[in-house]
Amino acid sequence: MRVEVEVDGGVVKDAWISGSLFRGLEAIIKNRAPQDAFFISQRICGVCPVSHGHASSMSAEAAMGVQIPEGARLVRNILEGAQYLHSHILWFYTLAALDYVDPVKALQANIADTYALAHAAGTRVADFGAIAKRLSAFVERGQLSIFANGWFGHPEYPADMPAELHLIGVAHYLEALEMQAEAATIIAVMGGKFPHFMSSINGGTSWVPTEEKLDDVKFRLAKVNAFVREAMIPDTLAIAPFYLDALKFGGGGGNFLSFGVFDDPSFEIDNRYMPPGFSEGASLGLDTVDIDNVKEYTEHAWYSSPSGLNPKVGETVPAFTEYNTDDKYSWGKAVRYKDLPAEVGPLARMVVAYVKGDEAVQDLIDSTLAKLGAAGKPEVLVSLLGRVAARNLETAHTATLTEQFLNDLIAAVKAGPLELFTPHDITDGEGYGMWEAPRGALAHYMTVKNRKVDRYNVVTPSTWTCAPRDAAGRRGPMEEALIGTPVADIERPLNVVRVARSFDP
Amino acid sequence: MANEDHDALRSQLEFHGVSRRDFLKFCGSVAAILGMSESMIPQIAAAVEKGARLKPTLWLHGGICTGCTVAIAQVDTPDIATIVLDILSLKNMTINMASGDDLERIVADTLEDAENDIGFILIYEGSIMRGQGGNALREFGEPQIDRLKKKAEAAEAIVAVGSCAVDGGFVAAKPNPADAIGMKQFLDEAGIDTPLINLPTCPVNPEWIVATVINVLILGRLPEMDSFNRPSLIFGHPIHDLCPRRGHFENAQFVYEFGSKEEELGYCLYPVGCKGPQTFTNCPIVRWNRRASWCVESGAPCIGCGITSPKAGGNWVDVNAPFLKRHRDLKIGDMRIQPSTAGVIVGAAAAAALVAHGLGMKAAGRMDGEGAPYEEMKECDRKKGGGK
Repeated sequence: MRVEVEVDGGVVKDAWISGSLFRGLEAIIKNRAPQDAFFISQRICGVCPVSHGHASSMSAEAAMGVQIPEGARLVRNILEGAQYLHSHILWFYTLAALDYVDPVKALQANIADTYALAHAAGTRVADFGAIAKRLSAFVERGQLSIFANGWFGHPEYPADMPAELHLIGVAHYLEALEMQAEAATIIAVMGGKFPHFMSSINGGTSWVPTEEKLDDVKFRLAKVNAFVREAMIPDTLAIAPFYLDALKFGGGGGNFLSFGVFDDPSFEIDNRYMPPGFSEGASLGLDTVDIDNVKEYTEHAWYSSPSGLNPKVGETVPAFTEYNTDDKYSWGKAVRYKDLPAEVGPLARMVVAYVKGDEAVQDLIDSTLAKLGAAGKPEVLVSLLGRVAARNLETAHTATLTEQFLNDLIAAVKAGPLELFTPHDITDGEGYGMWEAPRGALAHYMTVKNRKVDRYNVVTPSTWTCAPRDAAGRRGPMEEALIGTPVADIERPLNVVRVARSFDP
Repeated sequence: MANEDHDALRSQLEFHGVSRRDFLKFCGSVAAILGMSESMIPQIAAAVEKGARLKPTLWLHGGICTGCTVAIAQVDTPDIATIVLDILSLKNMTINMASGDDLERIVADTLEDAENDIGFILIYEGSIMRGQGGNALREFGEPQIDRLKKKAEAAEAIVAVGSCAVDGGFVAAKPNPADAIGMKQFLDEAGIDTPLINLPTCPVNPEWIVATVINVLILGRLPEMDSFNRPSLIFGHPIHDLCPRRGHFENAQFVYEFGSKEEELGYCLYPVGCKGPQTFTNCPIVRWNRRASWCVESGAPCIGCGITSPKAGGNWVDVNAPFLKRHRDLKIGDMRIQPSTAGVIVGAAAAAALVAHGLGMKAAGRMDGEGAPYEEMKECDRKKGGGK
């Protein structure tokens, strides 16, 4: 992905996001067996393959009129939850932490004060002394000198954030590397491997939860969830107060869309644990979601296929011309809901759940707003800091939900016998899988004709978030969110990186 | 010279009361991000260049899903720290948008090092995208494929990680809309003779990268490889021969339906399409995600993501789909497996295995869009639940 911004007077005045890769996956799936799409379509994304696999199987099951059994529902929910945990931990610590935590500043930390601060913040302690020593070994060897023209020591790190907090951040950044791997092993136990898993085949799941395997999942999940509760959430609350300026920019258009994720026993989309909905503008009102309101525009994307089509009749004919921000400049189509750009992802899901009245989500958000001095003002969530905080709060929410799904599965195994797979013949038809990847709304659409896939179409979270301009010239959500971002140093636009990365593109 | 640096580093660490192991773990943890935070790369590069006798390594991306990068972050034996600081200087693995110029500088420096006889290893992830005049993948405003030749020529050795890099992978599956190819074909067409090591599967198993890197850098030579440039140690035996469920196959104890009692008992998945007999990897032994599990253990049949022919048409999707059906014959690229000629491709033992496991000599090739011919249920399979 390429980000181009125009800066004037120290703020971003305009922005263009360009998707740089075309693969044409829909054509590859066409003419194959419906169940093959589950395996092939996962390869769209090596970070969120579980979501693609689930949306694909759902589309095939809808097309063939297959209802998966209760056991498979729970197994899929746990797999999806584990992937959310993996993805969000990886994002906050591994990808984004060093946008907010400066290892150079961490060197000035007093070790005793670091322990005191960790206790006060209610976050995990580590061997802070050893970590500081290792860091200083780097510096004495001149190994940080290269950052003189890099990002560290940047003026956009807050001057009043104590060195001790930077050191805590570095320590947990290291621990998170282990934790993302631990989260991935949950998917491996239940799905064979990660990335790209095996078990959520059309009709249910191939994974049989034996006592041994359930135990394996339970202790791994407990370990990951403990890290989320004991480090990730307190870290978020400790660091956020130093970034209150980030409540003032990076918000974007304020339209939020969620298709909902984690089915309940009814399998009704409106009853999902993370609900579907569309929230337009600052009103924070809520509409139900209808797939017919989705359109894909190609005026600014390198396709010769018609613009403004619904995914049901979507076409993808690549036709590269040249990179020209006034004309065509991306491999991403501009996806719109009711002709409006819509942000998708953790912030969208949390806003929709909040407005819909989910008590657990409301408690998480309201208590966080209070700690940031914005009690009763949920509208401040539409910002860079709101987006980052929402993802981390969602991680805690997902940890609790996934535990619940696992406990439900254990209870179901005890009650036994558990149905896991619905045998079925391949029949003709068409169907959608609407779901949520960690990055946001996801739809797979399949038509089966003569027992083969006749049409396949995927609308990914990135085509919502990283969309270029549409027929009316309106910017995509990330382009819009970049407008007004302060840039202290044009050579090192750290805030631009923070805003772009906050979408987890 | 390099040794002196190495000793200086060690004594400095000891002076600070930090064990070398700790230090490596720290640096390597940083590197395990593998460039996802591009700001760390120069630091690691600097550390390594001032450190021991290491081999600069450039990890480049073609048309990727990022799965192989995520995969390497799951490695723990040895951990990524040891790989990066004791063995390699990992120079460039970035998947995000920031710092494009810095990235370019690192690549340029590495190429300059190569000219100064330091040499570097190129690790390549993703398909090579020829479509749309190379614009199917753009990098710094140009077709990425145009920028690859110089790097491939300058490298001491190239490691193609993951099936996409090996033969185009699923991206090259019919109709191959982005005209994707693998590294072998790219090198052949460009007339580049840099030694190549192919590590297929989707994604790559990080343990194989480790094994290969150790082979090259510690033993100082390329691993023994088959005619598809795959290390024989890793890709020398069919999964079927290494599978813990093999005993059930011999006893004709099969899973006929997913999520069934037979699966709970760990029976053989051959009837539901398992490609273990014709797929040559050591997955059952090495396993995945820190040895947590592997595909068959989750009750799913192997889909043969390690099958390859670096020639056009050899990708695992075209060879193996439909994945949940038992195939009659095996076609790799433009070659059909026949017992008399199989030795050329996979070795005599494999040929025997193929014959033994019902992969016959049916000469019918795969038609575009038709997939492989597959076996109907056999008489001996007509048990309760069979043939679904």
